[in-house]
Amino acid sequence: MAMSAAEFLERLSPRRRPELPETTAGTLRLDLHDGGCTEHWYLTLHDQCLDVARSADDADLVVRADREVFDRLVAGRTHVVAALMRNELTVQGDIRLLLALRRIFPGPPDARHPRDVAGRGAARR
Amino acid sequence: MRQERVHVVAGNAFAASDAQGDMEPDPRAPVGLFSFDTRFVSRWVLTIDGERLRALSRDDLSYFETRFFLVPGPVDRYVDADVSVIRHRSIDDSFNERITVLNHAADPADLVVRMDIGADFADTAEIRSPQHRRTSATASSADGVLRLRYERDRFSREAIISSTAPGHVDEGGITYRVTVPANGQWITDLHVGMTVRGEGGRDLRSSLETHRQRVGRDMREDLREWRGRAPHLAAERESLSDVYQGALTDLAALRYTPLSYPGQVPVGGLPWAMALYGRDAIVTCLQTLPFTPELTPTTLRVLALAQGGRLDDERDEEPGKILGELRYGESAGFGDQPTALYYGAADTTPLFVVLLDEYERWSGDAALVRELRHPARMALDWIDAYGDPTGEGYLRYQRRNLSKGLVNQGWKNSPDAIVHRDGREPGFPRATCELQGYAYDAKLRGARLAREFWDDPAYAQRLEREAAALKERFDRDFWLPGRGYYALALEPDGTRVETLTSNIGHLLWSGIVPEERSADLAGHLLSPQLFTGWGVRTLAEGQLPYNPVGAHVGAVWPSDNSLVAAGLRRYHHDEEAARVAAGVLAVAELLGGPVPEVIAGYPREVTKYPVQLPIAGRPQSWASGALLMLLGTILGLRPCGDNLLVSPAVPEGFGRIELLDVPGRWGHADAYGRDRSDGSRGRRSRLR
Repeated sequence: MAMSAAEFLERLSPRRRPELPETTAGTLRLDLHDGGCTEHWYLTLHDQCLDVARSADDADLVVRADREVFDRLVAGRTHVVAALMRNELTVQGDIRLLLALRRIFPGPPDARHPRDVAGRGAARR
Repeated sequence: MRQERVHVVAGNAFAASDAQGDMEPDPRAPVGLFSFDTRFVSRWVLTIDGERLRALSRDDLSYFETRFFLVPGPVDRYVDADVSVIRHRSIDDSFNERITVLNHAADPADLVVRMDIGADFADTAEIRSPQHRRTSATASSADGVLRLRYERDRFSREAIISSTAPGHVDEGGITYRVTVPANGQWITDLHVGMTVRGEGGRDLRSSLETHRQRVGRDMREDLREWRGRAPHLAAERESLSDVYQGALTDLAALRYTPLSYPGQVPVGGLPWAMALYGRDAIVTCLQTLPFTPELTPTTLRVLALAQGGRLDDERDEEPGKILGELRYGESAGFGDQPTALYYGAADTTPLFVVLLDEYERWSGDAALVRELRHPARMALDWIDAYGDPTGEGYLRYQRRNLSKGLVNQGWKNSPDAIVHRDGREPGFPRATCELQGYAYDAKLRGARLAREFWDDPAYAQRLEREAAALKERFDRDFWLPGRGYYALALEPDGTRVETLTSNIGHLLWSGIVPEERSADLAGHLLSPQLFTGWGVRTLAEGQLPYNPVGAHVGAVWPSDNSLVAAGLRRYHHDEEAARVAAGVLAVAELLGGPVPEVIAGYPREVTKYPVQLPIAGRPQSWASGALLMLLGTILGLRPCGDNLLVSPAVPEGFGRIELLDVPGRWGHADAYGRDRSDGSRGRRSRLR
């Protein structure tokens, strides 16, 4: 069973994330809609670290989507930008933070390293 | 006969019509009103009393504004018209058309003016075979508004057409029954708003802080300022001034504001590439640094924001990799094409570092180099961590998206571009030669940035060691002693692809070539096998794959040639550089208007006139940028510390050239050059 978005966010550790630019800082609020209720997650990005809290405060970027969309995002089955283009996910505010968020979510589970592809001999494809 | 197309352009929005101003779908070309990779209007046809109009003349006022002068009736029947029509259209974030109907008779005229309007909301990716979409049209006669809408799940695109004169609105257009007074006129202004629905049903762009900052700017003022900021060219050869002004205007037309950043970046170009392409954008910036440096910081920042962050086979994405393509259309969103963000490009990542360093050399903008340290470092790390899949120290590519990914991921990205002399296809992953040059250049430039701005001398030393080793290894493995040039590529087993191509010119541009080899390469580049008289062919004549009308196997690209000419000058082959520059500039002078991205590879002495290819887009950012770069190359513009160095090598027949107010870390400086025809070679630079 894949991890839900809420589980994923809960387990985000406060470690330093070298994949995030040190010059990017700001606050993001993720609004997970589920039927009539909305769950708010509040992320603070600073110095390549991410603090996670539960809050409905204003943020530099608010990202809204159904819980199911967030579940797909954390499973690597949906791309943030494609979801935005489909309007499954909507944003308000500083979209630059969305691209930082993209780095936190994992990629597709079956993705391969170029080396593993090249390892299969001189493929003609 | 090929239909003439008339375009108005503003960034990634454009309208393409026939010579009468009408728009009807054509599977061969994107015709209609487009924005964000979507066709918002596919049918836009004006009739008077049921008759189509024909064109008398046209006034292309600017890239975003055109006036059509028309009369009713078919072409084969000429009568002195009592009625004539002016369609004056312009585009910015929306599309506007003023229709003026003039009555030249002494009596009032009762006329039925009709605009047929329809939308198919096709994605630019599917113009050749548009899918059928279930669209809805809502005609609201009360407020005179026609709404055309397409929805798929929550994806929604809407065109809202309104008119100042009252008319009868139906689902297929607007009809006006008007009486035009004797010697009088009737006017309506049509407005087409295009919405990309986002948060709460509002336009996606309106909820994005960054996009709101620029909407509503005056386009004319903007173009005037753009030209004013660029250096002023005074040339004895008048056609050169026209070419220069034309190139500046093309570049102005092809700027757009991405969703993520308040600044402008170049799109690829008309008609197929009205989106952000990493390669085209970076090359355009490199070409235009002495002229329009303002494109570069935004391009670097946007590419940094979209930099790859993970492994994703569908998108050929890896951490640190710089974008190949960014599109906003329906197929991008729904994964029918991976292009919402596609990373299938092996050259963009090293070229990102090259551009960052080159920009600092011109501008002195150290703050940007510090701001972009992280993405630049990730890009440099990518070269070895992901770009070298066989671990032999060469940058190679092999697509992981086998259905829609690009087979070839250098600038020559058509499927047949990388090929042996006898037509055999090399295996993957492929290491094309110019990629090694870019990687070498990126490492050396990264070393300079690390030492001077990032306070990391150890990393700088490491990069310099790696670059030196790459240069040595490259010369050993790619050099073809029997032929006197570098192999086009290496197969994974080390087999050399011995095809003679323009790629060797890129090696000169990157500086990976030892001095003693450069004369051989210059000789090949200017040989009749490669040089047509208009420019250097992508692939030399006399080899099996050669085809003068094949995009990457024989045709001539101005963008390619601009790098080749710069490379020749870098190694002091000034006369050869001048010949290449003169050839390409002659193409632009002879054809007039925007220079096409590619022309056929026929010899100049045979055709006398550049042969255009139907596939060639125009204007294209990196083709127009190439003309500026060639101008910079023949003047020998180079930043040197805090000064602008000028070292002209002007082609015969060009006379005197003055480029005034070249912007840079020196403030503004002037450059002068003249050809050698009168024996005195002008060489003087002054600071202001």
